[in-house]
Parts: sequence; structure tokens; C-alpha cells
Amino acid sequence: MNLADLRFERPENLVAHEPPERRGAGREGVRLLVSQDGVQRDARFVDLPQFLRRGDLLVVNESATVRASLPVEGRLGEHLLNLCTRFAPDLWLAEPRWSPGKPGPMALEPGDELRAGRALVRLLAPYPGIPRLWFAQADRPFDEVQRGVAGPIHYGYARAFPLEVYQTAFSRVPGSVEMPSAARPITLPVLRALAKAGVRVAAVRLHTGVSSLEIEAATVEAQALYPEPFRVGPETAAALNATHAAGGRVIAVGTTVVRALESASGPEGVRASQGFTRLYVNPSRGVRAVDGLLTGLHDPVTSHLAMLSALAGIDRVKDAYAHAIRERYLWHEFGDSHLILPSARSAS
Amino acid sequence: MIEAHSGGESPAKVAMVTGASRGLGRELALFLAARGFALVVTARSAPELARAVADLEAKHATVKALPGDVADAGHRKALVEAARAFGRLDVLVNNASELGPVPLRPLRDAQADDLRHVLEVNLVAPLALVQEALPLLERSRGLVVDISSDAAVGAYPGWGLYGSSKAALDLATKTLANELRASGVGAVAVDPGDMRTKMHQDAYQGQDISDRPLPSVTLPFFAWLLSQEPLKVTGARFQAQGSLWEVPA
Repeated sequence: MNLADLRFERPENLVAHEPPERRGAGREGVRLLVSQDGVQRDARFVDLPQFLRRGDLLVVNESATVRASLPVEGRLGEHLLNLCTRFAPDLWLAEPRWSPGKPGPMALEPGDELRAGRALVRLLAPYPGIPRLWFAQADRPFDEVQRGVAGPIHYGYARAFPLEVYQTAFSRVPGSVEMPSAARPITLPVLRALAKAGVRVAAVRLHTGVSSLEIEAATVEAQALYPEPFRVGPETAAALNATHAAGGRVIAVGTTVVRALESASGPEGVRASQGFTRLYVNPSRGVRAVDGLLTGLHDPVTSHLAMLSALAGIDRVKDAYAHAIRERYLWHEFGDSHLILPSARSAS
Repeated sequence: MIEAHSGGESPAKVAMVTGASRGLGRELALFLAARGFALVVTARSAPELARAVADLEAKHATVKALPGDVADAGHRKALVEAARAFGRLDVLVNNASELGPVPLRPLRDAQADDLRHVLEVNLVAPLALVQEALPLLERSRGLVVDISSDAAVGAYPGWGLYGSSKAALDLATKTLANELRASGVGAVAVDPGDMRTKMHQDAYQGQDISDRPLPSVTLPFFAWLLSQEPLKVTGARFQAQGSLWEVPA
């Protein structure tokens, strides 16, 4: 799949700059675009249970968001160091940026030292194939570095909000540097309606890294991806396999859940698994563990779009996005939701 | 012996890397140094090893370098002695490997002496080095990292000598893991994947291997591996360029 296949024009103004509750609605007060068999339906998020069936399984991410944007000062002056992936208490993969709205490139060198509060952070080496990310080593655990100085990661289109704005009803284990946002509109009333409709919920864990990276290689498959820590527990693996055995559908809530579940999938179904995954779910690989996806609207040429294409096919994704633009859906983590369902004509 | 920064204080963590003068071994030594490990390094070529040590010194690493052949029992003893002088051994990377005669040839044309030599360097030496270092590894509850190859499972024509030695090393590593678990020492095998190294060029003489990634492509994996508890990963065989690094749930 070529880079050009994933390009589309999204009007600048179709972005949610703040969460719906700051726009006078509830968290669930966003729109829901439902795509199935090439047909687009416009709904409200609270209508979600109508599109699911008794015996379907929603899988959510239990990772909670942490403050991961560090103001630092180094050879290039004052800038940000956005933490991405924790390798060890004193070692993270991180993205140096000029500011929330202004990424690199930055002329940094291995061995460069950055001051973060009282701590000293040394850049060891860039990530192979992703020059914007660096291995960063602190002279103390990063937990201590973050305390008091770090804020939540945000980008130019939205200001920083209090941390609770970036948590979902399922946030339980701190570790994500950006909100796994697909579950954000799932509030308690929505959960009750889902339960009443016979839809069950299971959880996996995947600590998200920074989303700021676009595909830069010529083909989708050639793009290097960084790893993320994940865990699929035995209960969730069992629930997923039982759902499939009974003819139910597994709907991942968020691209992070797709990555975790597909990492844990094999010929025998999904197994309990944990570790680091940099699995790239793209059309060449396809999907095995998930049947559908509830997610947000993703920007052109991100690896997320390649994942959507693995699930629904590039043409279907393009149709859905053309519809979303025409109907003025809102993009990004505080925006509207998109439910991609498997074909109603298929066996399950 | 080449010695650098032999400061009086005993280092917090110590690693030993064989075949450290170039390629993957050199890259790993540099990364371990950056992560604060004191190093014992070895390679057969003294001048090449000296150049690698100069790079390590430039990063203010504490290094003891001993040129020599890991197939030589006396040399292995000296290496472990050097680690003992540091007071501990947390990571032992058995990276030095012998490809066998090049250009590579099919097994039907292999000489028994060549097979013996490849096994000596790729199987006997790493095991003997682990045996020699075991008291130190036990005290530090350390990790043995045996560098394997996809040739250990690929059965590629021409790669029979090297591949069977690495297949044997894989099984030896897994067996060691089972035997050493109770003593707190971990052992893993790592297939680093194809890389742009001298060994790879030797195997593909006259061919352009510039499409292969540099050994630094494995750093994310090693950054992860070296952050794991040895007993959490012991017995596993990892693909450093793979997309999944799994630990038992």
C-alpha cells in the first residue's frame, strides 16, 4: 500500500478543540458514524447499543493517562521533551519538540543533555528508522522527573486540560502518554444500556506512546514503528475466544486495543500475552482477532488509517471519511466517534 | 591488556561482550556503556579492539579489554578474572561467532575440521564461558545473552555449519535456563536478524548488502531486554527485529 492511498483533505475546521463537556454536552454527547457494507449511518453516540448485538464483546483499554510532557532546557534553548515509551525507570523513548504545535526537526546529537527541573536527561541515540524519537536517560527515575513539572501531552489544536479530562471510565493502570480516547464517550449510562442489550465488556492494557508520528516511508509497510507495552490477560483471552465460538463479534474500542489483541492472536485464537509490541496492523497483515472497531476520526497518512484499512478495506475507509467530511464530523481525541462493523452478510 | 578508567570504586553493573570490536558486539558494548555498565570486552584482533575501546572511552566508559580467542580456555579464564576484578557480572553477551569457510558451501562439501572449529567457537566457547563465569553470574543474579541467528531455524543452503552450531546453541541456552533458574541466573537466545555487518558481507561475498539495516536497528530490543528481570525472560528466544517481545503472562 502506497503513501498516496492514505491521503485525503480534511478541512482545517473539523477539529474538536475541547471535550464535549466543555461545549455544554456530556462526554457521551458526541456523534457516531456507523460504517457497514459501504453504507454510512449518522447517529448519536448514545445510540451505540442499537448497532451491537447480544453476545458481542467490546474490548476496552484499561491504561490511564500520565503527565508526560516535560519542559526542558538544553543546547537549543527551552523546548519540550514528550515522553513516549517507558523502557526502564530511568530510560524512556521520547520526542523532543519545540512546542505543542511545533514538532522538530531539531538538531540534537547523541550525548546532548537536557535539564528538566532539577534532573538531568541525556539523549543516548535516536530510534532506528524514526529520527524524531530518542532514547532519553535520566539521572533519577522519570517518575521523580515528571513530578511537579510535567503536564499532559497536547498538540496545537487543543490546550492542556486537567489530567482527569484525559481519563476514561476504564482507566485503571497509569502508563499512557496520550489518552486512549476511543472509550472516552462510554459513560456509566452508556455502559448500563450496553449491558441491557447483552453486550459484554472486557479489558486489555496497552500504554500508548506519542501519536505525533506520521508515515514517512514510501510505502505503509516500510514504516518503522516504535513498541508499546501491552498485556492481554487470560480472562480477556478466554472471553474473546468464547465470543467467537458462540458467533459473537469482537469490537475493539480504539486502535490500541486492536494492536494488543492482534499481538496476542495466533492460529488457535487469542492467548494471554504480555510484553512489548510494535506490530503494524496494515492491509498486508490483515486482522484475525477483531471484527469491528469503535474509534475516533484519524488524520491523513497515520498508521491508524492503515489499521482501519486492514479492517474495512481502503476504499470503504475512504468512503466513510468522505461522508464524515461532508457531514462535518469532528476529528481528534475530543471529537466524534466512528464504528466500523463487519459485513452483515458474512457468516458471523 | 588495554585498560581504561580503572577508577578505584567498584561499578554498579558489569557486562561482558565477546566479539566487541565491530558489528553488533561493538554496538551493544556502546549501548551498555551508555547505560552505565562497566565492561569487559574481547575480540580476536587487538588493533580493531583498541579502536572500539577508544570509542567507548570517548563516552567515559569503564572498560577492560582483552584481545584473544574465546575458543582458548586460558583466554576465557582471563576474561572472567577481569570481571571478578570489577566485583560482579550482570550481563554476559556471547556474541563472538565463526561463520566457517567463505564463500559458504553446501554441507556435502564441508570438512570435518571446519565443523569442529565452528562448533568450538559458536557452541563450546559460549558454554565454557558461562561455566567459568557462573559463580559471578549467580552472585549478581545475572543474565546470559547468547546471540543466535535465523540460520539456526532456516535450514538455508550453504549455512549448514553455522546454522547447526547456532541451533545447538539455542537448545543449550534453553537447557541452561531450566538448569539455572533456581540459582537466579537467566539465559536467553537472541536472533538479531539480518544486519549490515562484516560477517554478513563475508557470507554474501561480492553482493550489495546496503539494504540491510545497521546493527543499531537492534537497540530498541536490547534496551527492552536489559530492563527485564532475568528470571522473567529466561528460556526465551527473541527476534530482535521482530514485532513482538513477549514475556510469560
